[in-house]
Amino acid sequence: MVRMNGPSASTHHTSPPLLELREIQVPGRSRPRLEGVSLELAPGERVALLGASGAGKSTLLAVANGVLAPERGTVLWQGEPRARQAGRRRRQQARIGTLWQDLRLIEELSVQQNLNAARLAAWGWPRAVLNLLVPLESEACAMALQQVDLDPTLLSQPVTALSGGQRQRVALARLLRQQPSLLLADEPLASLDPRLAADLLDLLLRQAAAPRALLLSLHRPDLLAGFDRAIGLRAGRVLFDRPSHAVEPALLAELYAGES
Amino acid sequence: MRLALSRPAAPLLPLLPALVLLPVLLVLPALVHGGGWELIGQFAWAAITPSRDPLLLQSLLQGLGVTAGMALLGWALSLALGLMLGLASSRLLWRELCGTSLPAEAIRRLLALPRSIHELIWGLLLLQLLGQRPVVAVLAIAIPYGALVARVVSDLLDALPTGPLRALRAAGAAAPAALLTALGPPLLPGVISYGGYRLECALRSATLLGVFGLGGLGNELLLTLQSLQFQELWSGLWLLLALMLLLETAVGALRRRWAMPGRFGLRGTGPRRTGGLAEAEVGRRGRELLLAGLLLLPALLVVGQALAVQPAELLHWQPLPPVAPRGWADALALPWPGLVAGTLTLMLLAAGLAVGGAPLLLLLVAPWPWGQRVLQLLWALGRLWPPPLTALLLLFVLKPGVITAALALGFHNLGILGRLLLEGAEAAGPAAEQGLLAAGCGPRLALLYGRYSGLARSYLAYGAYRADVILRETVVVGLVAGTGLGSQLRESLSAFAWDQLAVLLLAYALLTLVGEDLSDRARRRLLGGA
Repeated sequence: MVRMNGPSASTHHTSPPLLELREIQVPGRSRPRLEGVSLELAPGERVALLGASGAGKSTLLAVANGVLAPERGTVLWQGEPRARQAGRRRRQQARIGTLWQDLRLIEELSVQQNLNAARLAAWGWPRAVLNLLVPLESEACAMALQQVDLDPTLLSQPVTALSGGQRQRVALARLLRQQPSLLLADEPLASLDPRLAADLLDLLLRQAAAPRALLLSLHRPDLLAGFDRAIGLRAGRVLFDRPSHAVEPALLAELYAGES
Repeated sequence: MRLALSRPAAPLLPLLPALVLLPVLLVLPALVHGGGWELIGQFAWAAITPSRDPLLLQSLLQGLGVTAGMALLGWALSLALGLMLGLASSRLLWRELCGTSLPAEAIRRLLALPRSIHELIWGLLLLQLLGQRPVVAVLAIAIPYGALVARVVSDLLDALPTGPLRALRAAGAAAPAALLTALGPPLLPGVISYGGYRLECALRSATLLGVFGLGGLGNELLLTLQSLQFQELWSGLWLLLALMLLLETAVGALRRRWAMPGRFGLRGTGPRRTGGLAEAEVGRRGRELLLAGLLLLPALLVVGQALAVQPAELLHWQPLPPVAPRGWADALALPWPGLVAGTLTLMLLAAGLAVGGAPLLLLLVAPWPWGQRVLQLLWALGRLWPPPLTALLLLFVLKPGVITAALALGFHNLGILGRLLLEGAEAAGPAAEQGLLAAGCGPRLALLYGRYSGLARSYLAYGAYRADVILRETVVVGLVAGTGLGSQLRESLSAFAWDQLAVLLLAYALLTLVGEDLSDRARRRLLGGA
């Protein structure tokens, strides 16, 4: 497999990588969805995942956030494999934050309740139930909204009352509320107009400073500028893994060349 | 309305009814009497060591056949009755054909009475009038079910969009042809889905009627319970469970095959507008339905023959005993406030236990992979187990009274609501729950936040409908556990006090009609406000 160490991966070896995939294999119907995929994500790295539709970007992110267990291969989070014991496993998951393509906001709840839902991993039952009855931790929630440039007066609104761009930001604010160290995002810019997309990407990149790291699947190579590294997936395999400034047009052309 | 429902938030709503557990648990210790724990232990042990005596099994199977036959006949008759009456009580139909909807209103009002009286009371009344005959149970099921089906059919019909009908009429089509073409196909999925559900209900009702001596397996279940032959009892129960699960699976498969909407508005209220059905699909459904109907008719005749159901028996009435002097005055002097209050308390407790209990139990077992399977089995037993038998079983360890009756009635309805809750959870989709789990949230909280949010309104809407059914059913456990109108009804029945009976039935009908209206309003608010 093509596996080039990015520049930061070689300099940051004091702490283990936030995410390490080794020879990941996920079977699919006609061909493997992922085959022999390996990658590392060191603290502070912002990595874009490129590839045509069906190349395996979403599958890779599902493996990276623990939703999908690969058939073969190893996944390590901060140097540790998936915990066996339920409590430890939950603490492990709490450090992985995902910005889902479909956002997965809870439509029946208010913005504040949705933001607090990110704290459920840390909270016990009393606070989880109280969150459904009264506004909890309003200050922290307001701060999360401000971080994504939203007005804190939105806190009491039901999420159904928000516009598409606002919903994206609320989902991002919820991700920040979770305080994860590994940020994963599945096509977060897909349904946004160019200005909103650039704004949101900027926000995400800013949040991913060390000790955090960001792995984001991207359908637009023109937005690569802010990333440290780019990984190209083609038909379930890693085609390239190199600094984003070293991604030449010819490479991209090969990446998106007609699927057959 | 929005304010009232936005706090507490959606995920908690399905759990709120479970608050009745608090007073029940508080009172329960005082209700326990010493004796029967040993019997309960024997009963539980017998569940895994049922009798396998071939003679017994043969007689049980025979009883099961009678129960299933009664259910099938009663259901088919109710469907035929209900479709006719449903069309006859449709406002739209009358308006199109005669220009006025007044007859529809009149028929609707008339049908409220047979609908409001539980099939068991119909059974006991007919038993007094006609004597012990197979036709009694069939009729007892067909009368209230027919009226219920009629209401659903006419409601579905009147809720259909009339645009296509208008278009056909404007193009010069005659009213009958236009009605059939424009309203027939969209009406079908709703009717078939509801019809399938009624068949499941009919099996439960036939078992219940058997418990009260109207034939079939129910009576054997009662006798084995009363004589403490638990192993024989469980043989019958497992057989019945097998039949019930088979029926539910078959009905579910047919519903999916014929592109049915989820029942009772879990996916919106009216019948789904089947826009994308390919032409061949529609044709297939029509052909299959016709074939099924054609096969059903001879099957019904054979079953009728086997059960010796003779419609002519309906003409042989037994004379009523004379009314005692001063009977009417006595009837009015019954302790009405107490009876009504008892009935309502029973309904509220049982409904709370059932509606709130199902999501609570599902939450409790959420972390364990086998938990849901165990619950499904428990719920299947609850559906199967006629509430009077549960009440009798509870009386081994509890004193009679409203709590005991509510536990029995609640357990039965818990089984029905639990199954529906799982269907709703499936329909709500795994995405939100998965998202929470991936963020490190525990399995119980992920279920609460992720799934209950989406299903809260539709589940509670069904709960409101179920509360109305429970109100009707209070009489069933009241007969055994001695609470509310049911217990008085039993006394009046056994004393042949027709005057008292008439007043009691009137009161009961009035109560259930008010309940039905309230539950309808609650459902409309829950589903409309979404």
